[in-house]
Amino acid sequence: MRLDIRYLTRFLYAQPVSESQNELRACPANDHRQAVVHYHVTTEPASRVAAYHDYWGTRVDTFGVRQLHDRLEVVATATVETQEPVRPVAAVPRQRLGDSRFHDTHLEFLQPSAHVRWSHPVGATARRIADGVGDDVVALAQAVHDHVAADFAYQQGVTQVGVSVDEVHASGGGVCQDFAHLTIALLRELAVPARYVSGYLFTVDDATGADSHRDEVEVETHAWVEAAVPGWGWFAVDPTNAQHVGERHVTIGRGRDYGDVAPLRGVFVGDRRHELEVSVSMRRLALAPLGDQAAGRGAQQQ
Amino acid sequence: MSGLLAGYTTDGFFDEVVDADGAIRPHYRALIDRLRGFTPEELERRERVRDALFRTAGITFTVYGDDAGVERTFPMDLLPRVIPAGEWRHVEAGVIQRVTALNRFLEDLYVGEQAAVRDGVVPRWLVHTASGFRREAFGVAVPHAARCLVSGVDLVRDEDGHYVVLEDNLRNPSGISYVLENRAAMTRVLPRAFSEQRVRPVDHYGPMLLRALQEVSPPSAGEHPTAVVLTPGVFNAAYFEHVFLARQMGIELVEGRDLVVEDHVVHMRTTQGLKRVDVIYRRIDDDFLDPVVFRPDSALGVPGLLSAARAGNVTIANAVGNGVADDKAVYAFVPDLIRFYLGEEPILPNVQTYLLWDDEQRAEVLDRLHELVVKPVAESGGYGMLIGPHATEAEVAAMARQVQDDPRGFIAQEVVGLSRHPTLVGDHLGGRHVDLRPFAITGETVEVVPGGLTRVALRKGSLVVNSSQGGGSKDTWVLEEEVDRC
Repeated sequence: MRLDIRYLTRFLYAQPVSESQNELRACPANDHRQAVVHYHVTTEPASRVAAYHDYWGTRVDTFGVRQLHDRLEVVATATVETQEPVRPVAAVPRQRLGDSRFHDTHLEFLQPSAHVRWSHPVGATARRIADGVGDDVVALAQAVHDHVAADFAYQQGVTQVGVSVDEVHASGGGVCQDFAHLTIALLRELAVPARYVSGYLFTVDDATGADSHRDEVEVETHAWVEAAVPGWGWFAVDPTNAQHVGERHVTIGRGRDYGDVAPLRGVFVGDRRHELEVSVSMRRLALAPLGDQAAGRGAQQQ
Repeated sequence: MSGLLAGYTTDGFFDEVVDADGAIRPHYRALIDRLRGFTPEELERRERVRDALFRTAGITFTVYGDDAGVERTFPMDLLPRVIPAGEWRHVEAGVIQRVTALNRFLEDLYVGEQAAVRDGVVPRWLVHTASGFRREAFGVAVPHAARCLVSGVDLVRDEDGHYVVLEDNLRNPSGISYVLENRAAMTRVLPRAFSEQRVRPVDHYGPMLLRALQEVSPPSAGEHPTAVVLTPGVFNAAYFEHVFLARQMGIELVEGRDLVVEDHVVHMRTTQGLKRVDVIYRRIDDDFLDPVVFRPDSALGVPGLLSAARAGNVTIANAVGNGVADDKAVYAFVPDLIRFYLGEEPILPNVQTYLLWDDEQRAEVLDRLHELVVKPVAESGGYGMLIGPHATEAEVAAMARQVQDDPRGFIAQEVVGLSRHPTLVGDHLGGRHVDLRPFAITGETVEVVPGGLTRVALRKGSLVVNSSQGGGSKDTWVLEEEVDRC
């Protein structure tokens, strides 16, 4: 699927501010499932944007605005080509999670992290889920996903950082970030390495993740989870919408939790009161049938 | 033995001055002879001269965990420590070797292929759980891979007089100002004794540090790079040193708010407007350096600094993330890192260290806590450590609980019967334990300042020499090589 994405964040400050310095993580990842065709960041006031790839492999765009300004607008546009992922078929015994090399190379996704800390009730839930599952890591990850998807309610609202896994577990609901953090905690408790994925989902309904009949939709930034399967790779599930990750999911970055992939981090000098507006629009592009493309533009270079 | 050393005993320790037979070691004879000529009144007079000099210089060291913000002097003993040329050659070669390997390790971790981790020389999990491992600094290059621009390698001498490494300090080692001030004072307190010997100078430290800073500045800085010292401010324990070093180098001392980043270039605010800064000798901890990537509540740092470093427009020294290599558990692997990166045998050995995540080692350590030293892995300055033989039952029990709760968070070491050095106590000399912190500077190459800071545990029998724990210091004389005279 080819998608155009337009990410916009706008800060309207109560008083003019200065010396703003920021890091943006909004660029789709290039990986086995998706390819970035185009990506561009602009800011208003204008700034010189410098890009790098961080420890986790996510592209980061850094920029600063020194002079006084009363609004800051960041626009990132991307065109990305996505595919359906391959899914694991054969069973992988849980014993292989204990393989020392596997354990060593996945340690960062096995331990508690800044936003994924949990206590006994979460551990108990994890073990209860595992009790009903056969000896297969994929089935285990699927069961954890199914449990969170079925037992927790999506609550429309502003995504809030700072809700703990224990609180989400006790309250029974949350937004996509909370679903992801809880799922990660349950998986890690069961010794399945799990990582947080931030991205976008092409949908008209965040609660169900249903496909859109329209080709252009307004979405929010989304989050899901990948579980490491020994000898196979990462198995991606979206517990907020009770579905596997597919071609309508656009990955931006991966990390231990939200903290590693927060879309925009920054500081500025001045009165901190401001209004914030974030919008993401996605447009599905119609593709000409492959035959036509080959015949008509075969010699053209992109 | 008459006078000063009357009744002096070595009590079975290695003594720097007096050998096992009670004779003065050759490299101390001239000095001791001179001191023997002093009457008690004369000694007292020299101590007063010393005190006046230090008061005028305003040398203080804030002690944390004591009355907040109390400033004390870091007293210099009248007797200097003397290191003969041959002994120093050994120490110098060992420190250069160690710092070279540590620079290589850090470079490999942050911008290389992580070969030491890949090949299992250092466990991957150990690196990943080190609080000093800064993923935010991943990919930030440093010219000449000079990540430890200033390092302080703490050495002690064991019962046989062998130098061993106690710990590495690769983040913000302090103390060099005392080396310089002690020397300046000593040349006035004991001018004849000093001039009788060929003591290697230390007063080129400022120019040496400045040259290293200029060497590691980005290529874009051109012929005359601008360097600054970045301090957290007057409330920092080592603020005096920050002022001192800026003055020694003749460069600006700045706080975070004096710097501003524009288009990934760091500038200093001056009365004539902005001035570009190329290299920053920072004495602010990683956590507070840049609120965009580290603690967002830090007002001490410079927003956007890391992005400027990443863009190659400024060099931050010491490099961000060095704490992974002076983590006290990673310390245990430094001899292996020397073999791995340099293909050499370590010149200076480690102290026997126990890693507490290992069930067997932990069980043994918990049995023997009262005989061992236990240290938190990420602290420096002697904070939070247990000296088993000097601890109360309650302190030992409390440490046992801490170790069981967080085995990765501590290491245990055999107690080293640190060498002792005669130290003026009242009107006579008493043996006090000493260590040695030589300072190595990495620019294009690694150099060691002759000598370093000798710290003295002033309390009788105490093994803790840290200035933050109320220790004192000694001027440290490295003697010139003997030259054959025809």
